[in-house]
Amino acid sequence: MTTLSETPLARVETGPPANDHRGSWLPTGAMIGKRFMELRRRRGLMIVLPVVTIGIPALFLVVRLLAHAFDPKSYGPAGGYDIFTALVSGVLYIFGFIVAAALGCTAGSVDLQEGVFRHLVVTGRSRVAIYFARIPAGLAIIGSLVAIGYGIVCLVCSFAAPTVLNYDGTNVPAGLSRPALESWASSHADDVICNFGFRLGPEGPSSSFASVIQNVPCNNGPGGRRVKIGPPPGSGPQPTQAEIRAVAVTIARLDYSDYSRQFLAPSDSLMVRTGLWIELEAAIGFLVGLGLGSLTGQRTISVILMIVLEVILTPIFLRAHIPHMINLQRSVVGVAADHLGPSAIPIAMGGGSSDQANLIFETRTWAAVVVAAWLVVWTALGAWRMASRDT
Amino acid sequence: MSTMTLADNRQQAAESEWAVETHGLTKRFGPNVAVNNVELRVPRGCAFGYLGPNGAGKTTLIRVLLGLTHANSGTMSLLGFDVPRHRDLALARVGAIVDEPRFHTHLTGRQNLELVAAHREPAARERIGPALDRVGMTQRADDKVAKYSMGMRQRLGVATCLLGDPELLILDEPMNGLDPAGMHDMRAMISTLVAEGRTVMLSSHLLDEVERTCDAVAIVDRGSVIRQGSISELLSGASVVLQVECSDDEKANTVLGTSNLSVQVTSGASGLDITLPPGAGREVIAEVARLFIDNGIDLYRLQPVHTSLESWFLEVTSRLGDAQ
Repeated sequence: MTTLSETPLARVETGPPANDHRGSWLPTGAMIGKRFMELRRRRGLMIVLPVVTIGIPALFLVVRLLAHAFDPKSYGPAGGYDIFTALVSGVLYIFGFIVAAALGCTAGSVDLQEGVFRHLVVTGRSRVAIYFARIPAGLAIIGSLVAIGYGIVCLVCSFAAPTVLNYDGTNVPAGLSRPALESWASSHADDVICNFGFRLGPEGPSSSFASVIQNVPCNNGPGGRRVKIGPPPGSGPQPTQAEIRAVAVTIARLDYSDYSRQFLAPSDSLMVRTGLWIELEAAIGFLVGLGLGSLTGQRTISVILMIVLEVILTPIFLRAHIPHMINLQRSVVGVAADHLGPSAIPIAMGGGSSDQANLIFETRTWAAVVVAAWLVVWTALGAWRMASRDT
Repeated sequence: MSTMTLADNRQQAAESEWAVETHGLTKRFGPNVAVNNVELRVPRGCAFGYLGPNGAGKTTLIRVLLGLTHANSGTMSLLGFDVPRHRDLALARVGAIVDEPRFHTHLTGRQNLELVAAHREPAARERIGPALDRVGMTQRADDKVAKYSMGMRQRLGVATCLLGDPELLILDEPMNGLDPAGMHDMRAMISTLVAEGRTVMLSSHLLDEVERTCDAVAIVDRGSVIRQGSISELLSGASVVLQVECSDDEKANTVLGTSNLSVQVTSGASGLDITLPPGAGREVIAEVARLFIDNGIDLYRLQPVHTSLESWFLEVTSRLGDAQ
């Protein structure tokens, strides 16, 4: 049987400890460390967070690595620029936000829901300091998980990138200058004419251009690539090889701006900028979730609201041009955060880079102001509610 | 407006004889007054019971004292420090359990204490082991709290209170969930804490426990303190009942009724219950015995029964009237 010891604990101190600053708004390192420990030991949360931020992209890349290793003709390299942008916009950005929000809502509400907040308050520690201790603790968790997941994506996309660029179904050397691409097009004129898409200006094609395009017959070749075939019976006069080369050069010139945005692998600067961007998005998710969780005192409701904001409201406000509400749309944090991302990254949730023109316009400065305002306002709201709440 | 400086307040705190002092403290929830103009003074270095029926406002008063909710009016101090003005200084040497002790159930007992200790001064971390030892939880300290019984959580709650080396412990219903052995241990620990010079203020509706544990009490009913003082002082003002077995109850009733003694006589289970007026001394008991003998009534048993805190509590609280 356990019994209560009557051995004195220690002498009874009289008066508050010397140099005691527990009324300060600033949390101590010990408070932050123990809050980190408390969050890290939530088993369910700590399974979901790594699975989403690390597991999903890692699994996707491992499957691609294996598929390419066993059947390289059917399955392309696991990494590369396209895979990088797709994983960043489709997985890390959206799911990183959602799991960060779940962590924030948890950090903001569980002390209240589990009745521990009053234990902490009766220590005399400032309620605001108790709230602020959650910020570095939570950011350390979500920031490191997102960084690990993103690091894996960067590694695979850099080191398992394709060696040749596949542009419109044709293998093209990567990183060519405009004259070099035109020169390459001239020497691969048949491939260019049969495979490259192009968009002409408003004046339309010249007669010689149209004549060449119409009279160079192409058909499906092996691997889905289109190849030039011989003239069909009864066809008109065939263009000369010089005319074909001239048209191929024209097409290369028209496509250059699109081609110049295609890379074998993401550049270092793109990876750095993208990494900072998805860390910012995760930080937004965590801090807004923390404020909302503290405000409501309810984890489940707060998480649902955050998912609705990210998955439903943000895409609508990002694309729909609602009369008289454009400024309100621009003030949604998800819309603003999208505008802060690297332009090479397609917008999230199925947008694709070609949709960029349809998004509502927002300057980066305004987007930065909106994001900063959201962070400040939600942090202040959460701190205020914690300081004023009856417990 | 008070112009007292922090240094003045520290000086005043050191000189204050009260661990808890409130004046006109009131807390309302809408139209309901949970704490009504409470004047409370808890002396330092004693075990003090805050006694009242369920819903009397005991926990609300504790929450107001600890800054968990705001008072609508009135002033208060803990250990001589004005609250809420110097709440941080006051609570530095206060340990408290409010309602039932609650913890993060996914953490162990020790980890929960580490979390709380991190919010106190650095020395609090060194008190975790001794505090666990003191409440008999060292063996189970590394088990998750989810596996703890209610009694073990209560012990862990007390350990949490001890982390700040408190001068004042405020325990809300500390006997809840404890088995008889646990209650005995808790009483012993409270006595030891008081012997060390700490003040223990405990709220309870368990009158017997308070009577056995505390030196002084305040009785609260419907948010108001209706009596306070040492238990012996309070009970000295209560009625004394004589239980009497005699040869003729009817005659005894008549004799007492015609005497000049201001007593009330009722028939009890084993004779008569004679209620003497408050403050009646031993001479009144002797006079009753003399009346019986002078009137030829054989007296088999005459036993003064001192009023228990429970019967006195029921006497002075309005709840008894409500119940009847």
